[in-house]
Amino acid sequence: MSGGVALQAILSGLALGAAYGLIAMGFTLVYRLTRVIAFAHGDLVVGGVFVGVLAVLGTTPVAAAPGLARSAGLAVLVVAAGAALSAGVYFIAVRPFLPGAGHRSTGGDVLGWVAGGLAAGLLIREVLGLVLTQDAYAVPDPLRLGRLTPSGVLQLPGGGTVAVRTLGVIGIGLAVGILVERLLVLTPVGTAMTAVSDDPTAAALLGLPVRRLVLVAFVVAGALAGLAGLLIAPDRSLGVDDGVVLGLKAMAAALLGGLGSVRGALAGGLALGVIESLIVASDVLGPRFADVVPLAILLIVLALGRQGLRSSLREDPE
Amino acid sequence: MMVELAHHLYLLVAVLGLALSVSYGGQPVLCQGAFLAVGGFGVAHLERAGLPLAGAVLVGAVLAACAGYLVGLLTARLRGAAVALSTWAFAWLVYAVLDAFPTVSGGSQGLVRPSPARLHSPVFDVTVTLTPLAHVVVAGSMCLLTLAMVARLTRGPAGLEWAALREAPALATSLGVPVLRRRAALFATTAAVAAVSGAGITVLLGVAAPSDVSPLLSLQLFVAALIGGTARLWGPVLGLLVIAVIPPLADGLAGAAGLPAEASGGVLTAVALVAVPLLRGPVERFAGRWPERTRRPGEPVEDTEDLAPRTAASREAVVLTARGLDVGIGETDILTGVDLEVRAGQVHALIGPNGSGKTTALRALAGALRPKGGRILLEETDVTGAGQLEMVRRGVTRTFQRTVGLERLSPYRQLLLGVRGGSPVPFAAVRHLFASESMRDHAAAADREAWRALRLTELAGRASDRPGDLGAGEQRLLQVARAVATGARVLLLDEPAVGMTGPERVVLARVLRRLAAGGAAILLVEHDLALVHGVADRITVLDRGRVLATGTPESTAADPAVRRVYLGDTDPSSARG
Repeated sequence: MSGGVALQAILSGLALGAAYGLIAMGFTLVYRLTRVIAFAHGDLVVGGVFVGVLAVLGTTPVAAAPGLARSAGLAVLVVAAGAALSAGVYFIAVRPFLPGAGHRSTGGDVLGWVAGGLAAGLLIREVLGLVLTQDAYAVPDPLRLGRLTPSGVLQLPGGGTVAVRTLGVIGIGLAVGILVERLLVLTPVGTAMTAVSDDPTAAALLGLPVRRLVLVAFVVAGALAGLAGLLIAPDRSLGVDDGVVLGLKAMAAALLGGLGSVRGALAGGLALGVIESLIVASDVLGPRFADVVPLAILLIVLALGRQGLRSSLREDPE
Repeated sequence: MMVELAHHLYLLVAVLGLALSVSYGGQPVLCQGAFLAVGGFGVAHLERAGLPLAGAVLVGAVLAACAGYLVGLLTARLRGAAVALSTWAFAWLVYAVLDAFPTVSGGSQGLVRPSPARLHSPVFDVTVTLTPLAHVVVAGSMCLLTLAMVARLTRGPAGLEWAALREAPALATSLGVPVLRRRAALFATTAAVAAVSGAGITVLLGVAAPSDVSPLLSLQLFVAALIGGTARLWGPVLGLLVIAVIPPLADGLAGAAGLPAEASGGVLTAVALVAVPLLRGPVERFAGRWPERTRRPGEPVEDTEDLAPRTAASREAVVLTARGLDVGIGETDILTGVDLEVRAGQVHALIGPNGSGKTTALRALAGALRPKGGRILLEETDVTGAGQLEMVRRGVTRTFQRTVGLERLSPYRQLLLGVRGGSPVPFAAVRHLFASESMRDHAAAADREAWRALRLTELAGRASDRPGDLGAGEQRLLQVARAVATGARVLLLDEPAVGMTGPERVVLARVLRRLAAGGAAILLVEHDLALVHGVADRITVLDRGRVLATGTPESTAADPAVRRVYLGDTDPSSARG
C-alpha cells in the first residue's frame, strides 16, 4: 500500500470511525445507566435514515440531490426518527425487563431484554422491508458538502484523493461527539446521569428521576445513531439489513474505548474506522475482511479485554 | 409437507439442546445457528473428503463440541449481558466468514451434498433410504431422546449443579462446583446437539446454504428455547410453536388480509418474537418452572456414632495458618501483615470494626482472593494462590455474609450439592446418565453425608421443606450446613448470626461447639460479641487491616488497644479522627 493510498484510507477511515464513534457513544451511555446492551442500536441507524428519507421524499430513495429546504428537513427528521425509535425500543423491549430501582446487582431479566432488544431490531428491519424491497439503496446527501469545490475532491500528497465530504463528516462527527461529551459533563442532566451510572440506588434515594434519565439516555443515543446514519449513508449504498453488523461494530468500538467513558467510545470508533478502512485498502486482506475483522476484534476484546473492562463485564465474584 | 415437518423437528432438536445452556445453565446463548452451520457444512465437506455419512455426522458433532467448549470457556466468566453480546457477535462472525469464503460455504448457492441420501451398513448389510418420512422418524426420536436425557440429567448430580450455576454462581464456586468448566461443558453439549441437527437438515435438504444458518435462526432458536425451555412438559410444544407454527401462520394471516404474504408475515413474526419475552413471566407461572421433584428423602435411622469426632487424633493441631498476609483489592491495600492460626477443634473468632478487613481475610484464606504477599499454609502444605475450588477439595470452605439462597432446591438437595462439590466424582453426570452401578454407592454415601450435616446443624426436621419457608435464622444455619456438607475440616464463617433471633443464636452457638468438638477448625467472623465470647476459644482482633491483638477471649477483652478501638476508651494522646 503506497503512502498516498494509506493516507486516503486513514482519512476515509476517520470519517467512518466518527460515525462509529457516535453510535458507540450512545451505546456506552445506555450501558452505563442501565447495564443493558442495546442490541437494536444498529437498527436505529438504518431505521432513522430510511424513516427520514421516506418521510421527506415520499418514495424509496433516489440518488437525486434534494433542495436546501428538503435537505434541512431530512437532516432533522433522520435524527428525530432515530431518537423516537430508540425511545420506542426502550418502552417495548427494555423497560419491562429492567430491575426495580436498587436491584441492579441482579441485572434484571437479562434473557428478557436480550431477546426483546434483538426482536425489536428485527421488527424495525421487517417493517422497513415492507417498503424497501431492494438489497440496498443510494441515500441522498443532505449535507451538500461535495459542492464546496468544483470537483468535490481534494488532491492528497502522495497521489491519493479525498472527498471534501469525508473531511466534513470527520469535522461534524468529532464536533458533535465532543459537544455531547461536554454536555454530559457540564450540564445538570449530565451530572444526574453520571450519578445514576455510578449508583442507581443512591441516585433514586436522592430523588433523581432515574427512569426518566434512562429514557433521556435512550433518546440521546437514538439521536446520535440517526446522525451517524446521516453521515455515513450517502457514502455507500445502505440496505435494511446492514444495521446489525453496524451495531456490532459500534459495540466493538465502545469496548475498544473501555466501555467506561463516552469519550473513550468516540476514540474507539475512530480507531475501529481506521482499522476497517486500512483492511479494505490492504492488498493482503481486502474488502471481504471488512466485517470479519471487526467482529473478531469484538470477540477478542470481550474475552481477553484489559482489567477495567473485564471487571465491568465479568460476574461479581461475590 | 413431510420435508417441512422433518426440518422443524430437526430445529426442535437444536432448541432442546440450546435449552441446556439457556434454561438450565442460565446463559443467553445466541449462536446456535453458528453451531448448526458447523454441523451442516462440516457434514458436506467431510462427505466430500470420503467419510461415510454416520462418521461425518459424528466428526461434525465432535468438532462443534470442541468449538462450543472453547467459546464456552471464553465466555464463562462474563456477565449474562456480555455472554449475549459475544455469542451474538460469534454468530455474525461465522456468518461473515461463510460469506467471505465461498470455498467453505459454496457461495450463495450453498454446498450440494454429493452422495444420495442412503445409509448403508456393511456390518448388517442393510441399506436405508432416507426419505422425508425416515427423517421425520429420526428427528422425532432425537427429540424424544434429548428430552429423556435432559430429564434424567436434571434429576441427578448435574441438575443440582445447574441450579447452582443458574441461580448463584458465586455460591456454587464456594461449594466446589467448577462453574467455568460446567458452563463450558453445557456449551459444548449444546453445540454438539446443534451440529447433529444441522447435519440432519443438510442431509434432508441435500444442500448446506449460508442463508439457512443465518444469525436470525440463532435468534429464533433462542426465543424458542427461552419460552420453551422453562417448562418440561410444555417446553417442546411451545418451542415448536415459535419455530414452526408462528412464521407460516403469520404469512397466512397476512395473505388473508390481502397483504404481500412474505413481507408482512415477517413483520408479524417479528412482533411475535417481541411479544414472547413479555409473555415469558405469565407462561412460567402457568406452566410451572423447573418443578422440583417432591420425592421426600427418607431420613435414615439416627446413628449417634456418625456424629462422633472423625479426626480425634489431631485435636488442637494447627490446621490453617496465615503468615504475613498482604491482600489488596485493585490498588487498595486491605490487609497488611496478618498472622493467623486456626486450630482443629477450636472456634477462632475474627473480630474488628467495620472495614477492618475481616471478610477480605476470609476470602483470601478461602482462595477467592490472591494475596499480594505472605503465605497460607494448610497443615504443612503451602496453599498460597490456590483457587477456591482447590481449597474446597482440600477441606477449606467459606460461607457468605449475605444469605445466598437456591430457591428451588430443598435443604436436603442443597446439602447434596455441597457433598458433591467437596468430594467430586469424575464424570458424575455422564455416569448417572448411563445408570452406572458405581454411582449408586456414591449416591448412598452422599445421602449419608448430607444427613450427617443436617443433624449436626439441627436442620434434619427441615430437610425437604421449601427454602422459602425457612426462617431467616434457619436460612443462615443452612449456609453453615452447606459448608459442613462439603466435608470441610476448616470452616470460614462470615457473620453466620446476622438476622438471627436470640434463641436462634443459642442454637448457632450449640452447633458451632458441636462442629468444633467434631474436630473442625472454625474461623468465625462475627459482630455479636456476646456470641463470640460464648463460643470462641481464641480471638483475633483486626483493625484497619492489621492484627491488633490475638489471644483468649479474656486476654483480648483486657487488651487496652482493643478497648480503645472497640469500646471507645479514648486516650487523648493517640486518638485522632
